[in-house]
Amino acid sequence: MSAIECRNLRKDYVRGEEVIQTLQDVDIDIEAGSFVALMGPSGSGKTTLLNLLAGIDRPTGGTIEIGGQDIGDLNRNGLAAWRSTHVGYIFQLYNLVPVLTAYENVELPLLLHRITAAERHERVADALSLVGLADRHEHYPRQLSGGQEQRVAIARAIVTRPTLILADEPTGDLDRASAANVMDLLVRLNREFGQTIVMVTHDPSTAARAGRTVHLDKGKIVDEPEHAHGHAHDHGEHRK
Amino acid sequence: MNALLRSVPITWKNLSRRTLRTVLTVAGIAVATFLFSFVESMRDGVRRATEAGAAETRLVVYRKNRFCPFTSKLPQSYERTIRDVPGVKSAVPVKIVVNNCRASLDVVTFRGVPDEGFMEDHLQGASLRSGSLADWKSRSDAVIVGSALADRRRLRAGDRFDAAGVRTLVAGIFDSDDAQDQNVAYAHLGFLQETAERGGTGGIVTQFNVEVTDPSKLEDVAAAIDERLAHDQFPTTTRPESAFVARAARDVIALVSFAGIVGWASLAAVFALIANAIALAVRDRVRDHAILQTLGWTGMDIAWMVVLEAGMLGAAGGAIGAVAAYAAIGFAKLNFTMEGVSIGVTSSASVTAIGILLATALGAVAGLAPAWTASRREIVQGFRTA
Ligand SMILES: Nc1ncnc2c1ncn2[C@@H]1O[C@H](COP(=O)(O)OP(=O)(O)OP(=O)(O)O)[C@@H](O)[C@H]1O
Ligand SMILES: [Mg+2]
Repeated sequence: MSAIECRNLRKDYVRGEEVIQTLQDVDIDIEAGSFVALMGPSGSGKTTLLNLLAGIDRPTGGTIEIGGQDIGDLNRNGLAAWRSTHVGYIFQLYNLVPVLTAYENVELPLLLHRITAAERHERVADALSLVGLADRHEHYPRQLSGGQEQRVAIARAIVTRPTLILADEPTGDLDRASAANVMDLLVRLNREFGQTIVMVTHDPSTAARAGRTVHLDKGKIVDEPEHAHGHAHDHGEHRK
Repeated sequence: MNALLRSVPITWKNLSRRTLRTVLTVAGIAVATFLFSFVESMRDGVRRATEAGAAETRLVVYRKNRFCPFTSKLPQSYERTIRDVPGVKSAVPVKIVVNNCRASLDVVTFRGVPDEGFMEDHLQGASLRSGSLADWKSRSDAVIVGSALADRRRLRAGDRFDAAGVRTLVAGIFDSDDAQDQNVAYAHLGFLQETAERGGTGGIVTQFNVEVTDPSKLEDVAAAIDERLAHDQFPTTTRPESAFVARAARDVIALVSFAGIVGWASLAAVFALIANAIALAVRDRVRDHAILQTLGWTGMDIAWMVVLEAGMLGAAGGAIGAVAAYAAIGFAKLNFTMEGVSIGVTSSASVTAIGILLATALGAVAGLAPAWTASRREIVQGFRTA
């Protein structure tokens, strides 16, 4: 079953007289549990596509079905509730709330869930342990390195156990070692927990660790290789 | 977690962890609320002293067309005439000597009252802090002093107290809620008549304090007293005590009601301070709000957070300012005294509560527009703006 089905997806931005066709008739199917890298030149519409999949932006035309739910049918609040249970989003620039500690940042999405305080605490602690930051609960973002910040952001994205993780150049701002660390983490999430991951990247070696690469150019999907679908762990191409 | 409660911890952290911004804003609100509460307390004092209550039973008989204790002179013998007017329960001749006829914060008013009866009655509603009534009775130059005056002049029972050319001995100090008792020293009528008039015109008093039996007949009794003395050598004007104070204190009342503008302006300042602080905070947090919404928080959550923060700022500043005003007024025991009457500025729980509530409500209202803007901003737009 496909986790994500996009049909005739279009996104136009209107700036004065000018209409910028950021995405044009994008059709894409992504299978549950797969790890997809999204590549393409700057301005090709990668972030736009990711935002549409995350339900933080609305398409101009076309449909997006995720886990059998047409997210175009959801109203503003419905979409917010849907995001809080189904999507974990990882940004290039981490986007932690500066006034909150690592622990509190990771706790944020769980405050929307009907769980006990004890369970919330356990889940936050687990998520921070998973990303190797069990000893940094009380640190503020400004007291962490970029790599550590990004790992907090990953913990925040996975703490609700979403089916879909979207990552926009998650290693784009990191040094080589931190980037490798973050990639190891994403590969592990995909393999061990079966989470579907769509990741934007500019770096071919980073893309190589995903199971499949989708290319965007000028708002269109281009020469997607046939039969390249599948789970990352079905292929031996990624290094560990 | 409950939709309203889940925003509280984040809002609290935003306030408590941006210490400088919060302290500056709260301090500004506190100062403005302090001013508001202070002015309101003054207005409250004026209202209480000058607005006739339904249960008012006191009249003041004064010399007609005279407005200062120095010039109001009435024969003590009027006492019997006044007491005979139907509806009069009691009439007390009072001699008033002040050290300053104009409005002032350091006025001493001597009231000469009869040796028997008056002080016993009068002290029923008040409490003697030190000294005793027996001491007062045993010496002709003894005075019983109101607590505000005693505190200001640092008087204790047994001290000598000289003012306005009158040399007295403090026999007791009493606490009273009545503004008219604050700057007052009760002396023996005969003693004050002799000393003040340098032995000349004994039997002359300044005014008569009259109690009526039925508050609804207050005006009628006043008219009847003046009627009866109209053709005498010294015609009188009799007014309810509140009206008497209102007339004597008209300058201060005009000033205080003008100060009311300052009170309302202070509230405008509270509003402006919070509106500004919140507008800046919301602009600073465009990205934070976009993050929260990405995580599933709704526009309503964001709006509520902003209103909550504005309300909390108002509540904190309002509480500090209003409570500080309450304490300052209680501590300072301010009284405006003029022509022998006083208007007290007293701290009241209701003025304090109103100050806190208004600051909180104004804060919340000041947060509404920024809250609306923040809640309507598209998430993607938020990330691009930040
Ligand atoms: N809110 C917006 N208003 C106007 N134009 C927009 C908006 N968002 C995106 N665009 C335009 O859409 C196009 C695609 O933007 P997008 O951010 O998706 O590119 P990208 O592939 O992520 O690029 P990069 O690799 O540089 O991040 C760009 O031309 C961009 O200027
Ligand atoms: Mg991008």
